Amino acid sequence: MTYFPEEVVEHIFDFLGSHRDRNAVSTVCKAWYGVERLSRRSVFVGNCYAVRPERVVARFPGVRSLSVKGKPHFADFNLVPDDWGGFALPWIEAFARGGLGLEELRLKRMVVSDESLELLARSFPSFKVLVLISCEGFSTDGLAAIATHCRVLRELDLQENEVEDCGPRWLSCFPDSCTSLVSLNFACLKGEVNAAALERLVARCPNIRTLRLNRAVSVDSLSKILARAPHLVDLGTGSFTIDHHAEAYHRLINNFTKCKSLKSLSGFWDASPRCLPAVYPICGNLTGLNLSYAPAIQGADLIKLIRLCLKLQRLWVLDCIGDKGLAVVASTCKELQELRVFPSDVCGVGTAAVTEEGLVAISSGCPKLNSLLYFCHQMTNAALVTVAKNCPHFTRFRLCILDPGKPDPVTNQPLDEGFGAIVQSCKDLRRLSLSGLLTDQVFLYIGMYAECLEMLSIAFAGDSDKGMVYVLNGCKNLRKLEIRDSPFGDAALLEDVGKYETMRSLWMSSCYVTLKGCKTLAAKMPRLNVEVINERDESDEMEENPSDLRRVEKMYVYRTVAGPRNDAPDFVWML
Amino acid sequence: MELELGLALPNNHLMKGFDLNDGSTTNSYRKRGFEEAFEKVIPFSSPLPRKTTLPLFVHKNGGDGDDENDGPQLKNPDELNSISGSRALVGWPPVKHPRRRSAGGGAGERWSEDCGSNSYAGGGGRRAKCVKVKMEGVAIGRKVDLCLHDSYEELFHTLNQMFPTMQHGVAYAHPHHRHFTVTYEDGEGDWLLVGDVPWEAFIQSVKRLKILS
Repeated sequence: MTYFPEEVVEHIFDFLGSHRDRNAVSTVCKAWYGVERLSRRSVFVGNCYAVRPERVVARFPGVRSLSVKGKPHFADFNLVPDDWGGFALPWIEAFARGGLGLEELRLKRMVVSDESLELLARSFPSFKVLVLISCEGFSTDGLAAIATHCRVLRELDLQENEVEDCGPRWLSCFPDSCTSLVSLNFACLKGEVNAAALERLVARCPNIRTLRLNRAVSVDSLSKILARAPHLVDLGTGSFTIDHHAEAYHRLINNFTKCKSLKSLSGFWDASPRCLPAVYPICGNLTGLNLSYAPAIQGADLIKLIRLCLKLQRLWVLDCIGDKGLAVVASTCKELQELRVFPSDVCGVGTAAVTEEGLVAISSGCPKLNSLLYFCHQMTNAALVTVAKNCPHFTRFRLCILDPGKPDPVTNQPLDEGFGAIVQSCKDLRRLSLSGLLTDQVFLYIGMYAECLEMLSIAFAGDSDKGMVYVLNGCKNLRKLEIRDSPFGDAALLEDVGKYETMRSLWMSSCYVTLKGCKTLAAKMPRLNVEVINERDESDEMEENPSDLRRVEKMYVYRTVAGPRNDAPDFVWML
Repeated sequence: MELELGLALPNNHLMKGFDLNDGSTTNSYRKRGFEEAFEKVIPFSSPLPRKTTLPLFVHKNGGDGDDENDGPQLKNPDELNSISGSRALVGWPPVKHPRRRSAGGGAGERWSEDCGSNSYAGGGGRRAKCVKVKMEGVAIGRKVDLCLHDSYEELFHTLNQMFPTMQHGVAYAHPHHRHFTVTYEDGEGDWLLVGDVPWEAFIQSVKRLKILS
């Protein structure tokens, strides 16, 4: 290969799809490093504090697509204080200053200000794709800047962000000349939307295939939009209430019928069962269905809908579906690959919630199932063993039993054996979340069998340091470990400090790790950032000189080549 | 100060074999020394009528007995069971905030309310506002996440669960039904009666709570 001209090597590298492969070839020799870095078009930064933006810009001057992740995963559940960090601005600034031709930006769990969106919009004339997932810090004014200045915008995808509402004008900022939109998702916006502007926008974008509306968009508007864009593939409805006798309703059904390409449906806010027949015509084509925002759709109505969805591959529902409903899914949706069952407050225990029965039914009816997120009130070892046998192809298995530390209700045993069966059977398991009563034994199993495991979430589990050590010693491919409320302390933390350099990050909160343990880790491993997060109360005198023996509330450890960060708030101690 | 802790378990077939004080338990992993028992979260399953045991606690460094809760959060078994009780357990169940708000029929009106969403500089409505709560005569303080509550009603409900002795004089929204007085310290350091100002204003200014008898 060394005799080939660079262009040939570069051409060969073009065939390397994954980041990992490209990262690997860049370490072979200087020549390959050089070729690789100049020809790299896409960079993924899993932890924004692992590397400085300037370094990325310097190394990869040809990058067009950047993905960055910020806060640790547990930030989703309010375990990371606001102002912890994860700012997008330094990245956008570095790319702007570096004169790179950025075209795509994907950010997850980052703080994005309007200022940074404005800078983004103005700095990159070829900018095409903006995806923001679980971000915060911006308002619709920032979106207005994007709409105004990004002349060739193809995708604006906002998923589950916290966006300040400054009025509906942002949508009208898309100039009349903007006809390039392929994907527009503003479902997470809380404010009003200018319906007329929306309809006009959709009408002039012939390539639009994904459109997810927010709750403020009425069914009337939806109807008109469907009439203009019958070629939609992915639709998120707005508010789905309509008088099912009215003419508007019949128009809606007609318009839905014309959408022959529709494969994915979501939204359904405020949906009442009587509106559901409007979507019956297209159910047979659906591969994706998200009803998790429609608590009023339950029981017989839900079942009737599901029975029509023979091609479903991805289903997100609330636990009101009940075990019965899941049985219907099992008998109908033979192509199912991903299932998410979310908890709903309305369903108290006693009404139809889901248990191990529902999961067992799914596993026996849907052998292609590979991704699961399941919130339930109880689970048994027997059920998990059955599920493991029926579905050996799980890559993602997240089980959340709502009562922390609840045992198998039939045998009163911990769920070690059940989860053990899962990891033993599912050889491709990459992501696992545990719950229920668990001892160190389950971690022994995980360490022994979960060879491909990359991400593990632990809560209220284990008996001793041994549990954590089993995992650290056993899981060779572990990248992210997050633990809360479990009895793991300094001994476990310090057992194999080198391990953390092979991982992206470790999170531990409400465990037994002390300040001394954290300091020891930081001292031994200079290429790790050890952050201790203390939410201080001014009235707490003890905080002045915390003893090293004191347990830390929250600790976040990650490998980095950037050194300690300089934007940490004062409640984050960089050790 | 010595605290008497009762581990009274309710009568329920699911709880068979679970009584820590019952030597006949078949699950040996459940037997622990006194100290060990209180170092670990001991959850109890299923929704059961509330029992009036004091919360299990973790004692730090031999303890003066009066310190606030420094370590892992107290886990009152009651809290773990009930739906509204589980709201006092921060970050559990592990569901993303926006979904928490909009699931549930009654949340229809609530979904656009976020605590602290006025300033987006800080990060919008995903703030968790945890404040410490101390009750007069109780050694151990607790923490409550105000962002998981929408009204004084809900807050008092959670407080009732956190401090079961309050049950005898349940704190209602109406001051004159209360046998216990709930006060809060505001941004200026003044101690005020909880319930006097609109909920949103309260959330903004409250720093910590104190329950007086």
